[in-house]
Amino acid sequence: MKEILCSISTRGRYDTTLSLAIQAVINQTKKIDKLIIFDDNDNPKDLREIQMYMYLLQTMDAKGIEWEVLFGQKKGQHYNHQIANTMGYEWVWRVDDDCVPEHNTLENLWKHVGPDVGAVGGSILTPPFAPVENSTGKIENLNSEPNIQWDFIKQKQEVDHLHCSFIYRAGINDYNLSLSRVAHREETLFTYGLKQKGYKLFVVPNAITWHYRNQQGGIRTETEELFHHDEYVFRKNLEIMDKTIVVLDSGLGDHLVFKKVLPDIKNPEIFSCWPEIIPGRSIQEAKDLFGDIDKYNVYIQMDKWKWQDSLENAFRKLYVEKL
Amino acid sequence: MKIVIFPFAKTMRTGKQHPKNYPWWPELIKLLQDDGHEVIQVGLDHETQLVPDFRKNLSIEQLSNLLKETDTWIGVDSFGQHLGWYLGIKGIALFGQSDPVIFGHVENINILKSRKYLREQQFWLWEQAEFNADAFVKPDEVFETFNKTFKNQEKTLPNVLNFIR
Repeated sequence: MKEILCSISTRGRYDTTLSLAIQAVINQTKKIDKLIIFDDNDNPKDLREIQMYMYLLQTMDAKGIEWEVLFGQKKGQHYNHQIANTMGYEWVWRVDDDCVPEHNTLENLWKHVGPDVGAVGGSILTPPFAPVENSTGKIENLNSEPNIQWDFIKQKQEVDHLHCSFIYRAGINDYNLSLSRVAHREETLFTYGLKQKGYKLFVVPNAITWHYRNQQGGIRTETEELFHHDEYVFRKNLEIMDKTIVVLDSGLGDHLVFKKVLPDIKNPEIFSCWPEIIPGRSIQEAKDLFGDIDKYNVYIQMDKWKWQDSLENAFRKLYVEKL
Repeated sequence: MKIVIFPFAKTMRTGKQHPKNYPWWPELIKLLQDDGHEVIQVGLDHETQLVPDFRKNLSIEQLSNLLKETDTWIGVDSFGQHLGWYLGIKGIALFGQSDPVIFGHVENINILKSRKYLREQQFWLWEQAEFNADAFVKPDEVFETFNKTFKNQEKTLPNVLNFIR
């Protein structure tokens, strides 16, 4: 399996920071295996026809870095990240299109990767730099402290969530696709979800990414209403993130079979089609909170697993044995 | 014996015959009735009536109470076989193209003609499968299994009581 995929999602920044981000990524002291660019522009261009980008693509060819440009779905960068998350790489290094990592950022993030690690982030610094003091990186302090990554990280520290650009273990947690196209808080939900699955998150020193915050492009031109929507989804997800999410989007009989499994599920939060059999919140609520609920559908999972055991044991695999 | 039957699976969106539906209910019912058994059908308004005593649109509670008052049940692979199993009432589930190893319960009597009729994609929508009457055993085989299982048993609910008795 190839180790590191770098993913850049871009919108409205062909002429500003995108080329800086790409150049920084391909000139790392630790080489990536592949760069994938998700182009969410309304009028996407063929990068091969723009001389500066052509040079960058040819540089990757020369360095043996595979690259690919995909025209995004324009549903928000979380959709693009989810594609990268499931492309079969062990690790994904996500870099925003207005971020410029220093030459050794990936190397220094990579030093802290281990079997119990879910993600590693470094400093995300926006000029003019202003120091941040006493931030903890704990989820409960999210609203009361500046992000710990907005300062030079002086020592390795375990945190609850990461911001903006970081390297993460792929295929473990899904991005929340119920967020709007502005994808406000998407990385917080995603990384905190990794932690809930038992992996550690770290911020580490000497892994600096410069964030050339750009008022054009990205998500900053979107409406306040969408931010409010995402904040609501974020808060509601946080409330249940330490629970085992159960979505019973299936038939009446399946609910009865599930009933035998229910006592063995740790701290369940249930969304049910048949509340008279299994009390729970509605399936529509699950869709609103999680977006994609296929991962909870026992039939879709059984098909994926090529399941040949009982339905009851499939429910156990999905909800009891899971991480 | 008093027998509840669940003859039909949920109606498909295509309006076609559901591949889970047993094709020889009238013949099976006749065999049971001729042997002196009382047959009660449960189902929904739009379903074909097969016996005089057709209880329609029962709530889960009503259905559970009915099952508890009767001796056993015979049904296709649908809600009924799960409810019978859940209540601990032994009955016969008639399988055709769905796999009883996956969807059946070992506490039930699961009758499958042959695994060669099982559909390849067990978890796809039923609208993607075609009805095939050949996939099911004939009514005399069901009747024979019924007799072997329940003859001389006064009451099958619950299994543990039978054992004690």
